[in-house]
Amino acid sequence: MSAMLLNKEKWPEFIGKLAGKNLWAPQAEGDAMHFAQVKEGETPGLDFGNTRVPPKKFIFPQTETMYRFQLGGTNIEEPVIDDEVVVLGIRPCDARANKIIEKLFKWDVDDPYFLARQEKVTLIGLTCTEPGLNCFCPSVGGGPASTDGLDILITDLGENYYLEALTNKGEKLLGEAGDLMVEDKGDGAKAKEKLVAAAEKKINRTVDTKGIPEGLPGLWEDPLWKRVSASCLGCGTCTYLCPTCHCFDIQDEIEGFDARRCRMWDSCMFEEYTLHTSGHNPRPTRRERTRNRINHKYNYYVDKFDVIACVGCGRCINLCPVNIDIVEILRQVKEAL
Amino acid sequence: MDIEQLRKIASEVVARDDVKCLIGWKKGSYGYRIAPAFVEDTEETADLIFSPLCTANLATYLTLVEKLPVPRGQEPDTRKVALMVKGCDSRAVTQLIVEKGISREDVVVIGCPCPGVVDAKLLAEKYPETEEAAEVKWNGDGFLLIRGGEEIKIARDEVLAEKCRLCRYPNPVISDLMLGEPVKPWDVPEDSGVVEIEEKSIQERWSYWLEEFDKCIRCYSCRNVCPLCYCQDCILDRLNPTWINRAVNFSENTAYNISRAFHLAGRCIECGECERVCPANIPLGKLNRKLAREVREKYGFEPGIDPEGEPFQASYKPDDPEDFIL
Repeated sequence: MSAMLLNKEKWPEFIGKLAGKNLWAPQAEGDAMHFAQVKEGETPGLDFGNTRVPPKKFIFPQTETMYRFQLGGTNIEEPVIDDEVVVLGIRPCDARANKIIEKLFKWDVDDPYFLARQEKVTLIGLTCTEPGLNCFCPSVGGGPASTDGLDILITDLGENYYLEALTNKGEKLLGEAGDLMVEDKGDGAKAKEKLVAAAEKKINRTVDTKGIPEGLPGLWEDPLWKRVSASCLGCGTCTYLCPTCHCFDIQDEIEGFDARRCRMWDSCMFEEYTLHTSGHNPRPTRRERTRNRINHKYNYYVDKFDVIACVGCGRCINLCPVNIDIVEILRQVKEAL
Repeated sequence: MDIEQLRKIASEVVARDDVKCLIGWKKGSYGYRIAPAFVEDTEETADLIFSPLCTANLATYLTLVEKLPVPRGQEPDTRKVALMVKGCDSRAVTQLIVEKGISREDVVVIGCPCPGVVDAKLLAEKYPETEEAAEVKWNGDGFLLIRGGEEIKIARDEVLAEKCRLCRYPNPVISDLMLGEPVKPWDVPEDSGVVEIEEKSIQERWSYWLEEFDKCIRCYSCRNVCPLCYCQDCILDRLNPTWINRAVNFSENTAYNISRAFHLAGRCIECGECERVCPANIPLGKLNRKLAREVREKYGFEPGIDPEGEPFQASYKPDDPEDFIL
């Protein structure tokens, strides 16, 4: 796979080469960044913090139509997912999250929607040189330049961008802009290494995960769950902003005779999550629901797929209205072991 | 703020046999964060604080309690909850009492006269958050930020929360115990956020809100944080019939946000929590304050002021001028 250097002056031209593709990149919206479609003639920059909402929508949209039908009819009309999408500036943690949840969507049954979308998306990542205050990716197996799930990784070297193709998809895309770049002779790689080491040093929050996955079942009735969930409002902020949360609910929506079956993000923090038709709820209070959120990420997923379902992006900490801090919860878990 | 007085009052309250716990504020895990504290014994009162960072309206916890069935042979816990409230928060408690969401006897109100809190987002923009949990104090007319051994004086207008700029009730309207002395209310300017929208044409207004609601991810943090959104059976959770589809698109998002705003008309006490917690940065405060102002100007009614009063929707005046009804 090739590694190239692109002079920043040629950045608009590089973006020009992507014109005609369905290109998405982070854009500012008030004080927050979000992924938006790049319109013709626009040149998105790469100078930004991570987006508030993770870009999981490209493979796992918040609302996905599974099929359409007519009331009283027997035909079902399946959607065609053929939209090629290029996502520019995705962070390594978010790309890694896609690979983590892929394990579930490929588990007992191949999920056609998720896999079709994944097939159609090209992810151009950006090395994190300025990690956020609540980032802790190295603690959970990631890093500021993790390449898991990416097709291309871009590193900002100041004057140049250093671009590494990581998959055939990435190689092909870089090839299209080949005449703008020069091959890296090794200087780029060295400069990148330095930047990544510096970025890692800036990450102050850490979780010592050793023993947590094995130890969590033993803490089922521990008083810590009541303590950490006492202030929980039961909103879906932490789960909806989590790049690895993947729970969904399936519902039928009907307008006149037109109907569709669709699935949408669900949150284990909601009251009606796992509520039975009988009225019984195995997770009746926020204590059980908070316990589930932590166990799902740090125990169940590890048991089944051998990976922690948390990438350390810090979003749930940044935006929890009541300062429920997963790093702090895990510290208390560790203490209770 | 006299922290010793706060701890003394809190210790006396939690020591009472008829009090289950005290809900107040404590330092958060980092930066400018504050966490709600649920204090059950006198030792834990040492964590309690009251500072310009204590933005959260804790009245929401009064109706958020999840009650599990009481096991056979046991009596339900009917002890009171003690709650620390600022002026705006006390209006939420009052409104809950008016609506019979709670009864006056259920709660011990610890009033905290409030000179205005900071908008932590604004503060972080100007003085970036650090890993260390910082302290902010009221300092004359402004604030004092203390972190890393450094003290930074900040002018009041620089970081004051918008809800406080517009606040007409800085002192608690009800209380059983009072922390410190009442503060002097300040001159309230015109609500420029609302005026700015009112000046738009109908089309502009509609497209402004559509754009805002399009950002909504329907996490329902605005509903859950709201002390007055406490219906046992919210229309959003209803599936049969489904009043508002779960699909996230601007049509359903708009239906959701407008329904919520209307359900709060004449009930919203303008604590600004919905806007503070919104991860999509939707200016929900403008929407709710507009309705609050309509109710205030057209009906001369303000919610959450008089615990003996009637709810807005349940009140009727025979001499209502009705001069705006076509």
